Amino acid sequence: MKKLVESSGVEVAFKEVDVVTTGTFGAMCSSGAVVNLGHSDPPIKIEKAWINDVDVCHPGAAVDLFIGATNMSEKLPFEYGGGHVIQDLVAGQEVELRATSYGTDCYPRTSLKTTLTKDDLNQFYLLNFRNCYQRYNCAVNSSDKTIYTYMSKLLPRFRNATYSGAGELNPLMNDPDYETMGMGTRIFLGGGQGYIIGEGTQHSPKNLNGTLMVKGDAKRMSPEFLQGAAFTGYGTSLYVGLGVPIPILNEGLAKKTAVQDKDILTDIVDYSVPRRDRPKFGQVSYKELKSGSITVNGKKIRVSSLSSLKIAKKVSQTLKSWIDEGTFLLTSPVERLPTNTAFKPMRQTEEIPFVVSVMHPAVTCTEKEEIQAIAKRIVTKSVNHIVVVDEAGKLIGIVTSWDVTRAMAEGKTALADIESHNVVTAKPDEPLEIASKRMAQNNISALPVIDIERKVLGIITAEDVSKLLGR
Amino acid sequence: MARILIRFDEDQVSEPIASQIIIEYKVPMAILSAHINSKGGEILAEVPDDILEKVVNAFRQRGVSVTVPKLIEVDSDKCFSCGSCIALCPVEAISVAKDSTVQFDKEKCVGSTCSVCVDACPARAIKSIKQNSLENPANRKKKS
Repeated sequence: MKKLVESSGVEVAFKEVDVVTTGTFGAMCSSGAVVNLGHSDPPIKIEKAWINDVDVCHPGAAVDLFIGATNMSEKLPFEYGGGHVIQDLVAGQEVELRATSYGTDCYPRTSLKTTLTKDDLNQFYLLNFRNCYQRYNCAVNSSDKTIYTYMSKLLPRFRNATYSGAGELNPLMNDPDYETMGMGTRIFLGGGQGYIIGEGTQHSPKNLNGTLMVKGDAKRMSPEFLQGAAFTGYGTSLYVGLGVPIPILNEGLAKKTAVQDKDILTDIVDYSVPRRDRPKFGQVSYKELKSGSITVNGKKIRVSSLSSLKIAKKVSQTLKSWIDEGTFLLTSPVERLPTNTAFKPMRQTEEIPFVVSVMHPAVTCTEKEEIQAIAKRIVTKSVNHIVVVDEAGKLIGIVTSWDVTRAMAEGKTALADIESHNVVTAKPDEPLEIASKRMAQNNISALPVIDIERKVLGIITAEDVSKLLGR
Repeated sequence: MARILIRFDEDQVSEPIASQIIIEYKVPMAILSAHINSKGGEILAEVPDDILEKVVNAFRQRGVSVTVPKLIEVDSDKCFSCGSCIALCPVEAISVAKDSTVQFDKEKCVGSTCSVCVDACPARAIKSIKQNSLENPANRKKKS
C-alpha cells in the first residue's frame, strides 16, 4: 500500500486494495491467560496456586486461574514467569500445578498437586488488558552506570539506545482514527484468531499512544507467536504476535495505511531518571530507529529494537494468506473505541520527598586552597563536608572534617593528599529514599547534588534525611 | 588467525609472561580484551595460525592455562530476532539480514570475556561458554 500510494496515488490504491494487513511482535507485559481446571475430587476452592512455581491465582471461584505474564517463578525469578508458562502450555507441554486452600464444607480439599497440558483445561483463553502500543519511547541512559529496565539493558552515558514497535507495520498506526477496528474485530492473535474486546488500559489515542484489549482461544495459538521473555533486573513478560486486517473502505483509509516510518515520531527518553516524567532528548522517527543509529545531543549512538520486525512481518503475511484462503473472515466492530481519551497520572494523597526538597547550598573550595583555609571554613560555616569544584563549578572531589583532622594529625598540608575523587553523588530529581540508601550502602554521610554536566547544585546530608523523617 | 583465552592465577600476574612469549617467539599477538587484577585474570588474544601451537605450549609450560574458546553460543531456535543485542555489541558482530533475521558473526565476536549481550537477551538465546581448559601438567603439580 505504501509503495502503491506513492507511485499511483490514493485514488488508484483505494480501487485496487481491499485489505491491508498489519502486524507487531513485541513484549506486552499486560498479558495473561484465563484457565479453568475442572473440579478435583474431593473438590477444592483454590486459595493459592502455582503453575511451574509461578503464582497464578486470582480472587475468583474455585478452579479458575489467571496466569499473569509478569508473575515470576519463585524458584527461578527473573528467568521464568507467567509468559513462559503460557508459551509452554500453548506448545503442548506438561506443566505442574500446586494449589492450597482453607477448606469449606462444600470444597473440603486443602491441597492439590497434579500435572496438566492444555488439553486437560476446559478453557484456556489469552486475555490481554493492554497490547499493541501504537508506538513506544526510545530509551537511553545518561547516568554513569548500566541500568536494567523493561526497555532492556541501557549502557551508561548514552552508549546505546533501545526502542520497541513495528512503526509503519503497527496495526493502530494504520488506522489511527479507529474507523475499522473496535469491539468485536477479529484479529490475528498469537498465531490463532482472536478479537479486540475494547480499548486497552492506558489507551491514549489523542497523543498516538493507543492500545487494545484482546482475547483469543490460546489452545489454537502457536508458541512461535507467543514467547515468554526475561528482562534482567526487571522481570518476565510475554512477546505477543498481533495483527489487524484493515479493510480499505474509503480513500482516507488508503491514505492512512500508506503511513511510513519516516512520519512516525517518538520521544527519546532518559530512563536513568527514576521518575514518572523523565527527561526527553527530542524526537526520532521509526525510520531512523530502524536504521540502527540515532543522534542524541549531537552524538551518534547505536540503537536496537526490542520487538521483532521479522516476526511482525510474518504476522501480517500470515494474516494476508488466511484472508486469501478464506480461512479468516473480516468482521465489522460492534462498538467503536474511544478516540479522544488521554492517560492520566495517579492521584497521590501522600507525596514522597525528593532530593531537591532537602538539598541546600554546598560549601565549596578549589583545589588550590590550603588545608588551613578549609579547616577554617568548616568551623565558620559549621559543616562537615566541603565540596571541591573547578572554575566552572563542576565536581572534582570532596573533603570531610575527618579528612582535615587526619591531615592535621599526620602533618599533611596539601589538599590533594586528603581529598576523595571517587565521589558518590545524587541527582536533584531522585527520590530521597534512593539517595539515602546510597549513603547507607557506601557508609557515607553526605552526597553532593550534581546536574548532568557534573555541576554542583547543592548537597544533602544524613542529618537532612533524618530531620525529614523525624518530622 | 586463531583466538586464545589465556588465564593467569594469582601468583602469575606479577610476571611479564605474555611479553616474554611475544619476544621469544616473535608473535604478533593482538590483544582483544584483557581483565587482570592482583587476583588473576584473563586475556583474549589473536595469534597467527602457523605459530598457534607453539604459543599455546609456551604459555602452558609456564603454568598458564590456555584455551581456544568457543565463545558465545546462540540458540537459533530460541532467538526470535528482536535485535536487543545489536547496539550493545562493542565489535559489531551482530547484524540484521535483509529478511530482518538477526545474525551473529562468530569470527568478529570476542566472546566470553565480553558477554555484554548475554543478559540483555529476552529470549535467553545467548550463552557465554566458560570453557574448561585442558588441565596442564604444571598446574596439576602445583595443586597436589
